[in-house]
Amino acid sequence: MLTLTEAAPGFSDEQLAKARSGDAAALASLIRAHQRSVYTLALRMLDTRELAEDLTQEVFMQLNRNLKSMASNTHLSFWLRKVTTYRAIDQLRRRSRIEMMPLDDEAPLHSTADGGDPLLQRHLQRLLLELSPPARAVLLLRYQEDLDPIDIARTLDMPINTVKSHLKRSLEILRQRTPNPDRSRCEDQST
Amino acid sequence: MSDDLESRLRAALRPVAPSEEFTQKLIARVTADQGSEVNPRGAGRRSPKASAWWLSASLAASLLVATGVQHHLKERRDTERGLEARRQVIEALRVTSQKLNLAYEVIKSESSSPADDEPGV
Repeated sequence: MLTLTEAAPGFSDEQLAKARSGDAAALASLIRAHQRSVYTLALRMLDTRELAEDLTQEVFMQLNRNLKSMASNTHLSFWLRKVTTYRAIDQLRRRSRIEMMPLDDEAPLHSTADGGDPLLQRHLQRLLLELSPPARAVLLLRYQEDLDPIDIARTLDMPINTVKSHLKRSLEILRQRTPNPDRSRCEDQST
Repeated sequence: MSDDLESRLRAALRPVAPSEEFTQKLIARVTADQGSEVNPRGAGRRSPKASAWWLSASLAASLLVATGVQHHLKERRDTERGLEARRQVIEALRVTSQKLNLAYEVIKSESSSPADDEPGV
């Protein structure tokens, strides 16, 4: 599990120091190491590839202006998640009256090389979009970024109990609206 | 059931990479921005769009100030002209009054002189 006490893989504190001192190659490595997390958070929050790319670019431009204040790679990961989720929530609040593009118009979010049910994954992603922006951010930080509730509370400046209640309520909604293949199989066998 | 749902969520929410084209553009943009920040000569330089905006704003502000000053000077000139006209009218009235008084005195003295000369009245 990646927590605030662990560094993001693929990028070291030494490389961060080089990037801070203006090394373009180190900065490129930093972007490559962290863009996946930032882009996916933006995509799952905003639901549109173009908006996710715009947000990713804004976040890294902002990071570049604040690079000197990044003490470590762990601090950097924390900062990137925080800024990305805050900016995404802010955007969603501003465009709350605008109808969002359906996910069906988008390319598949990822391959199904793990053998997972692509339809079920698409269904869960669609349900995620129906949650409120803060609840969505909590769920993404928990299941996409693998943060524990304490780290989520720190990232979103949210009381731990609020994080837990978001998680509980969101899982309950997803559970109610997600078909259970095991249960379906049992029902098929009984009939 | 809960663990099952959580593992499905983890599978559905695995991080995805953006396109390589986007990554290349992002790196180019951010490193270019870093270059302009490292170079102190370019640090305070505005983009052409921002410069055009500032130029238009400066021209508009100069025009407003010039119009305001011109308006103020015109008002001051008009006030001075009005005061001068007032002084002239007062002077004209004073002179007219003096002349009328003089004429009155003359008429009065002339009208009283023949009556004094008439005998037996």
